[in-house]
Amino acid sequence: MTGTREDELRAEVRHWIAAHRAEAMHTVGAHPPHDHRTGEREARWLDLLREGRWLCLSWPQEYGGRALGELECLAVGEEFARAGVRRPHLGMGESLVAPALLAHGTEEQKRRFLPRILSGEDVYCQGFSEPGAGSDLASLRTTGVVDGDELVVHGHKIWTSGATEANMMFLLCRTDPDAERHRGLTYVLVPMSGNGIEVRPIRQMAGGEGYCEEFIDGARAPLSNVIGGLGNGWRVAMTTLGAERAGEVITQYPGYRAEFDRLVARLRDLGRLADPLVRDELTRLLIRVELMRFTGRRVADELRAGNHARELLAIDKVNWSELHCDLGAAAMSLQGLGGLVRPDGDGYRVDEFQRAFLESRGRRIARGTNQIQRNIIAERALGLPK
Amino acid sequence: MSLALTPEQEDLVAALRDFLDAEVEPRRVREVMETRDGIDLELWRRMNTELGLGGALVAEEHGGTGLGLPELALIMECAGRAPVGVPLLSTALAAWTLSTVADPGPAAEPLRALASGTSITVPVLHAPDVRAESSAAGWTLHGTAEFVLDGHVADLLLVVARTPDGNALFAVDPATPGVTRRRLDMIDLTRPMATVVFEAAATRVLCAPDAQPRIARVLDVAAIALAAEQVGGAARCLELSVAHARTREQFGRPIGSFQAVKHMCADMLRAIEPARSAVYYAAHAAAGDSPEAPMLASLVKAHCAEVYTDAASATVQIHGGLGYSWEHDAHLHFKRAKTSELLFGDPARHRARLADLAGL
Repeated sequence: MTGTREDELRAEVRHWIAAHRAEAMHTVGAHPPHDHRTGEREARWLDLLREGRWLCLSWPQEYGGRALGELECLAVGEEFARAGVRRPHLGMGESLVAPALLAHGTEEQKRRFLPRILSGEDVYCQGFSEPGAGSDLASLRTTGVVDGDELVVHGHKIWTSGATEANMMFLLCRTDPDAERHRGLTYVLVPMSGNGIEVRPIRQMAGGEGYCEEFIDGARAPLSNVIGGLGNGWRVAMTTLGAERAGEVITQYPGYRAEFDRLVARLRDLGRLADPLVRDELTRLLIRVELMRFTGRRVADELRAGNHARELLAIDKVNWSELHCDLGAAAMSLQGLGGLVRPDGDGYRVDEFQRAFLESRGRRIARGTNQIQRNIIAERALGLPK
Repeated sequence: MSLALTPEQEDLVAALRDFLDAEVEPRRVREVMETRDGIDLELWRRMNTELGLGGALVAEEHGGTGLGLPELALIMECAGRAPVGVPLLSTALAAWTLSTVADPGPAAEPLRALASGTSITVPVLHAPDVRAESSAAGWTLHGTAEFVLDGHVADLLLVVARTPDGNALFAVDPATPGVTRRRLDMIDLTRPMATVVFEAAATRVLCAPDAQPRIARVLDVAAIALAAEQVGGAARCLELSVAHARTREQFGRPIGSFQAVKHMCADMLRAIEPARSAVYYAAHAAAGDSPEAPMLASLVKAHCAEVYTDAASATVQIHGGLGYSWEHDAHLHFKRAKTSELLFGDPARHRARLADLAGL
């Protein structure tokens, strides 16, 4: 099972990390800030990762990947995590558009879009949610009308993370108003600039502008940008990559542990660690953080043994997002009122724990609310009726 | 080490589950609960002859199967599915105590007896009140041991007792003059315990003092084994709840279609699976004598206690009136969960130890 190819790959990763340690970005916390922008240092690090071919590992080689299997992707992820080095992914282009393209795109589409995701030329945002269509995504009302060889889109999208940074939006629109609601949807890649899309940032709880709403008035995309064909958008949108989710489960521990350790250090500085109630609450959190380590290990071992680990993957999103909420809330409670004092400076600045306290609330809503996630766990992993 | 089960481990689990599902029959469990000793000796005899459970941890040279701690965790996880009075946990810990604390010479005969299923040998690992005295006539035990698992039916007791040179392990036949024992009337009728009083009871020493470092490792194994049982119990609770929620109809539809019920079940699963990962991880760490093992033992004992308690509580609730009945198994788990939570150190104590070991 531990084939030599995987061992060689691990050795290659370790060697590469050792050679680039000076430039490496380290694991700092559980999650990057919502309004995170790629800085110069991170851009340089991404370039190095591109040169080393450590991004988009599962893609076929002709599109710039390494054609690695699930276990090999895991091995690379594990080695980076073990070294405490970040391997940022290329946003939703990598995590959501590419899997959809690889599963449903034509050869021409893969060749046209994938290399631009890898190079960073195309940065994507997700045009799914609408003011009237959140968890009930299939009720969306943005329309797409075929005009010659183009699709013309009208509508209103909202809660779009990273829309101001993106030059492309992958969106769902209704192209057949008469079809059953899931069937009339189309998944299309739409250019953002000079295309009738007005982007309005929305200020978030943590003070920054991590998401936006878009008023789309006649945005045009060639029909060759439709993935999976007209009316097939629901299936395309539901594409997820198992390897990526497993990779997340396996590599998320170091960031959480680093954040926990910094909280402990903060409380030690504040002289709070001797308080038995503080210790007990911290220990409860420590247990949940450590569970990530054991579960990550078990997922990797199950996949290596040829098992599916379906239950472990299904519960992951609720578990990490609930833990982060509790970690953030505890960070505030355990520091006392002093923990609520924001750092000096203009605007609504927050420190890392205040950020965790606030932004964690967004993460249990994003990517399928945790209520919807619990429905999915109950229905798909436990077989309870709809 | 791999946390995924090997084919041999899969077979072990399948055999055990099949046996328990077929043989631990609800009416019989309730009959045994009402007996004086609360132990199903016939079931235990079959668990020995058909599954070799008494000798699972005993080395092959003494007639056992020589399984290790990862397998102990799997055995206990299976056992957790079916709360019933059998001396499985106590004898397994006795085998581990004899193998890792006692000197090889005096350990051989009791290990053989365990493996053959002819002796219910029970460890008394934590009895701060019990001390051993040495005289020309030999060693004697003095003091009271509380909450001894299966102590009232034991054929041999392995007692950790204080000596002037530190703790050592002693073997005592409960029929010896100076030993009195009394079963405790406890809430959980499937996990019988006894108080054992030693009044100058003659005993033989099994190892030299100070054996406390090795005894501490057995206590960690006990915590991991019980945590595994808790995970198995919680998983069984979830199975019962899901089965009920899929079939029980109200308002013209299965109650499992209501989100209030769905979410309770989903929350059980998302508690159980990471707990199971932790138990497997801890069992492998203890098997490999990892320096992390004590920390992991306290972690799983503290955490799995709450997972089981919560799962049992949700199971009572999801089953409605039936869940509150004597007839349904929900109360067996509800009571077992509380017993297990407090046995071998309660969660708060283990969290305090974990905090110290983790350098908080």
